[in-house]
Amino acid sequence: MNRASLWRPTPWEVSLVVLTIAAGAWSVSLSPYYLNVDQIAYSTRQFIIPGLLALGLMVVVVLGEIDISLASTLAVGSVLLAKCSAHHLPVFMAVPIAVGVCSLLGALNGFLVAQLRLPSLAVTLGTMGAYRGLAFIIGSEMGYTDFDDSYLFLGSERLFGDVVPVSFLLFLGAALATGFIMHRTVFGRRCFSVGHNRDAAWFAGIDVQRLKIQAFALAGAFAALAALVWIGQYGSARGDNADGTILFVVTAVVLGGVDINGGRGTVPGVVLALFLLGTIRNGMGLANIPGPTQTVVLGSLLVVGVLHPALSSAVHRVRRFLRSPTKASRTTVPAP
Amino acid sequence: MPTKAITPAVLAVPRRNLGELALRVRVSGVLAFLLIIGAIFSLRSSQFLTPQNLGVIASNAAILAVVAAAQAVVLITRNVDVSVGSMMGFSAYLTCDFAARHQNAGAELILMALAIGLFLGTVNGWLVAYGRVSSLIATLATMSLYRGFTYLYAHGQEVTSNRLPRWMLRSVDLRIAGVPMLVVICVLVVLVAAVFLRHYPLGRRIYAVGSNPVASLFYGLRPHRIILLAYALSGLLCGFAGLLYAARIGTVTVVLASGWEMSSLAAAVIGGVSVAGGSGTVIGAALGALVLACVDNGLVLLGLPEFWRMFIQGSSIVAAAAVDVFIGFGLRKSLQGRRLGRSAG
Repeated sequence: MNRASLWRPTPWEVSLVVLTIAAGAWSVSLSPYYLNVDQIAYSTRQFIIPGLLALGLMVVVVLGEIDISLASTLAVGSVLLAKCSAHHLPVFMAVPIAVGVCSLLGALNGFLVAQLRLPSLAVTLGTMGAYRGLAFIIGSEMGYTDFDDSYLFLGSERLFGDVVPVSFLLFLGAALATGFIMHRTVFGRRCFSVGHNRDAAWFAGIDVQRLKIQAFALAGAFAALAALVWIGQYGSARGDNADGTILFVVTAVVLGGVDINGGRGTVPGVVLALFLLGTIRNGMGLANIPGPTQTVVLGSLLVVGVLHPALSSAVHRVRRFLRSPTKASRTTVPAP
Repeated sequence: MPTKAITPAVLAVPRRNLGELALRVRVSGVLAFLLIIGAIFSLRSSQFLTPQNLGVIASNAAILAVVAAAQAVVLITRNVDVSVGSMMGFSAYLTCDFAARHQNAGAELILMALAIGLFLGTVNGWLVAYGRVSSLIATLATMSLYRGFTYLYAHGQEVTSNRLPRWMLRSVDLRIAGVPMLVVICVLVVLVAAVFLRHYPLGRRIYAVGSNPVASLFYGLRPHRIILLAYALSGLLCGFAGLLYAARIGTVTVVLASGWEMSSLAAAVIGGVSVAGGSGTVIGAALGALVLACVDNGLVLLGLPEFWRMFIQGSSIVAAAAVDVFIGFGLRKSLQGRRLGRSAG
């Protein structure tokens, strides 16, 4: 394999890069404080937690499923870490516990989806409430803030002359790992083929059910990592952690060019979409644009992201119409 | 052989009714569940079975029943609508803000709420049916959009009850033979929706599209149009429910009815509406709303913390969906058995 094929950007990814640069330029014009290394490094905090969730969600979406319970899984993770800290467990023991429990919760989603053939939407909408309740049941309604410093290292420290946040490096590592898993391993290949055509993949001898459970468990493990970053950034853990983050996460995955019906998508696309969303959010924050407007912008971006295939096919149809008006009357059979 | 001639006639009757039977079992299962939790709560708390408390439960269940009916209509078409809470909030806020500015506004407020709901639902339906967007993603986006627009419109203000017209607040508190007016209205709305889905061709088409979109297309239905209709209907019901809710609680804030997407979905799924589409009834969804209202009320009476509700609601969605899968599995197996002639003997 030659170096050139390591990453060949798709047109969608190129347009994401262009949009990110445009958003950056817009932010510079909005605020004099934008162009500052410290500020830009600090702004990565905006998207690292949803970014880790998005990487996990991407694997699930490629399989043609969805997991909207990830933010609640994060809450369970952060509350568990709080419990471990309260019992003075060292961090190297607490993290495996949190990762293990969160992947189990993910695997439970996967089991319900793959083994019982339930729609993933209904399952994860249910477990979204159930896990959030579970987080409150474990941690009670009181927030926990008395973390040991070793727990906060990942989310709050900076390296290399106090500039690069450790959490950003963690995110990059996770993104590289996910990219390797999805684009360079058999597991990833199988994920794409199952998402593309489940039955064909089954006939080809792929254990679809096991693969789905593994993918959901992986997403749960990423949620645990995000929980670790969460307690570092905010220094507190409570059952309602990351409530409402899932909109940002789904937007990032969809805007990253991952087909919501499965089978298509790239990890670099998701990462670029995260950079774009992070830049927009940071710019809007600096320009004092209130939260509700930001939500509206985010929602509109999600609509644009999902309408992208429909829009491009509409453009295609218009073009064909302009080229040969006689053939335009033939209509396409709608796919139900 | 004489038995061979008789067999088809014998088989035809149960085979036609099998699906209906399963549904009836399912709905009576919900009723049984309702009775069981009612019995548990009334044993544990003496206040549960008082007429006053039952009235509170009915009032709480009433509006949720309308929203669950809206959710059920969309679920039957194999889609989902998570923007119900935002649609309620949007139409309630706009309508009540209008009412606060025009004190002598009358019944046009109801029309206004219905129209806003209808419009929002149509946007959802257009995105899902013609934009070919997965229903969850489309309504997740509009959920935040509608809520965001409400925030932007409100500028952090809220409409307090003293600025609302008297008749609006008073009419929901009226009692007809001891039954709150609110409950009567909601039961009527749910019944109309149920009759529409059960007995009108358009209602049957909603089921047809949900149970097999490809077959309905080949049969000559236009699935896109019917999905759009289902969403529009859901929006209409949500707009109305939003107004009722606003009239009931009096003070309209921008976060009105947030989180109702979960409750409505839980109610519909508990009531036997299949998330895989094509099966379930509006009445069942309304019963599901009653179950949730009973659980909520019982948890408060027993003094359990609020977050148990989230846990129970979420788990019950998963459990009810799993039960539906097992029923469907059993049904398919027995149908297959009949086809092979095994259960004939």
